[in-house]
Amino acid sequence: MRHRLRDPVTGLLFVLPMLVLFLIFKIFPTLGAAGMSLTNWNIGGEWSFIGADNYTRLVNDPNFWSSLRATLVYTVIYVPLVMAVSLGTAVLLNSIVFLRGLFRGMLFLPYVTSFVFAGIIWRWIFEFDGLINGLLAKMELGPVGFMERAELVLPALAVVSCWKGFGYSMLILLAGLKAIPGSYLEAAKVDGAGPWQRFRGITLPLLKPALFFVLVIETIASFQVFDTIYVMTGGGPAKASYTLIYGIFERGFRFWEFGYAATWGMVLFAIVLVVSLIQRRFVGKENT
Amino acid sequence: MTLTATRPAAAGTRQAARPRRHGRRWPLYALLAVMSLLTLGPFIAMLIVALSPRGEPTVPAQWPDSFTFDNLAQVLEASGFTEWTFNSLVYSGVSVVVILLTASMAGYAFAKKRFPGRDTILWTFLATMMVPFQATLIPLYVLVSDLGGADTFWGLIVPTLANSQAVFLMRQFILGLPDELFDAAKVDGASELRVYWTIVVPLTKPILATLGVFVFLWHWNDFLWPLVISQSDSTRTLTVGLTVLKTEELQWSLMMSSAAISAVPCLLVFFLLQRYLVNSIAMTGLK
Repeated sequence: MRHRLRDPVTGLLFVLPMLVLFLIFKIFPTLGAAGMSLTNWNIGGEWSFIGADNYTRLVNDPNFWSSLRATLVYTVIYVPLVMAVSLGTAVLLNSIVFLRGLFRGMLFLPYVTSFVFAGIIWRWIFEFDGLINGLLAKMELGPVGFMERAELVLPALAVVSCWKGFGYSMLILLAGLKAIPGSYLEAAKVDGAGPWQRFRGITLPLLKPALFFVLVIETIASFQVFDTIYVMTGGGPAKASYTLIYGIFERGFRFWEFGYAATWGMVLFAIVLVVSLIQRRFVGKENT
Repeated sequence: MTLTATRPAAAGTRQAARPRRHGRRWPLYALLAVMSLLTLGPFIAMLIVALSPRGEPTVPAQWPDSFTFDNLAQVLEASGFTEWTFNSLVYSGVSVVVILLTASMAGYAFAKKRFPGRDTILWTFLATMMVPFQATLIPLYVLVSDLGGADTFWGLIVPTLANSQAVFLMRQFILGLPDELFDAAKVDGASELRVYWTIVVPLTKPILATLGVFVFLWHWNDFLWPLVISQSDSTRTLTVGLTVLKTEELQWSLMMSSAAISAVPCLLVFFLLQRYLVNSIAMTGLK
């Protein structure tokens, strides 16, 4: 009886440390972002309320539209690429037994490293005196300026993120594949379905929840690309890799326009929110 | 009769089928080998460049004549590098300890306690997962620097401790533990802290270990927050330090050496705990 009476207090006490951290460093800045986007807050800490001026400035800012375009182009390249690579490797791993652990380990290795690490190595790989151009030179081809040509820089960055990140999605899809009962595939085989028919007719539909999860996670990740861009291109050439996050960073920490930078942040927030809500809607329908 | 007649036949076909199926698998292995080579290639190239004598031709133009550890030694002696490594260790180490403690305490309360506002608080925690960190970067930076946290360890570490993924994971795990355990301990007169320390912590060890590995990797590899909040070598982490080196030092053999050293803890985690990481991603979706 005594314990039951004490329960409400102890429960709150156990949550308290995390709750305080959340209120100060998550909830307050989230509300603060919305508030700040309505001010002209600058480095001196002075600010006044300017209504929707930052939003008017945003829609008239060619840098914003080109950064949105760069982000979307990057997403359109990165997401299919990483989906194809992770699905392909997961299917391959699922169809072997001997040495599976070894291959899985080798493919997963880059995932534990940092994007900064990946950016440094791949910058050298794409350099004029780097790995790819060196190999091209041996075939008397090239050189190709991967970081210097506007149309190549986003695909190159997508390859780097894919290399670093596909191991995670591969493991999620591999777990999904393992959960498909072997008897389904056996039965289809007995009925005379070929490997491709079995993959299209049984594996893919049953893998849909895992594929959808990976699709959403990777789409959100693609909107948040920053570290590799900072290390490899600095947003260039000619702003071709100047993404939304890079815009937030530059507005905030190069031009010190905190109010306007927060406005850029609100756009990112809105995009990620829409993707998350779509996910909840679909997952809610299919799984629970 | 029919049984005895069909059995050997069935066994026979199974035996005959086996080698053929194995034979058909070689394209799968070939593809996997190609993918693995593409994945490991950058690591191998990095090591070769890092170990090549400075100023001499190396891959891809030419295989280096000899290997040397001079670059690695020079990086370790370079100003800042040890400091950045120490800072990264503090950033990751302190975060692991505090997040494991606070998240398991909160997870325990959310799973096994009744208190006013419990579900509202839990849902608020979950909802913050949908807010991308970068969208709150500016107000968070202004808040922490106004509190005097710019270029300090607490300013670097404390804001990253509010972690909803960790709380939710702990809550889900503790939800599965039987209530009787906690009731029995209470009947025996154990205090709440004692129940937490002698029952919750030991029983959640596997998930705590998994979470610890992830929190370590998140912080060791973190970049954007340390980049804006650390302004000097006294709090700069290794990831930020590498980009400072980048602008000062354009010798690839040195860059590759520092990159290689920076990845050592991650690679150690990988080689020691790979099975753990792999299983927990598959089971919990932790990223």
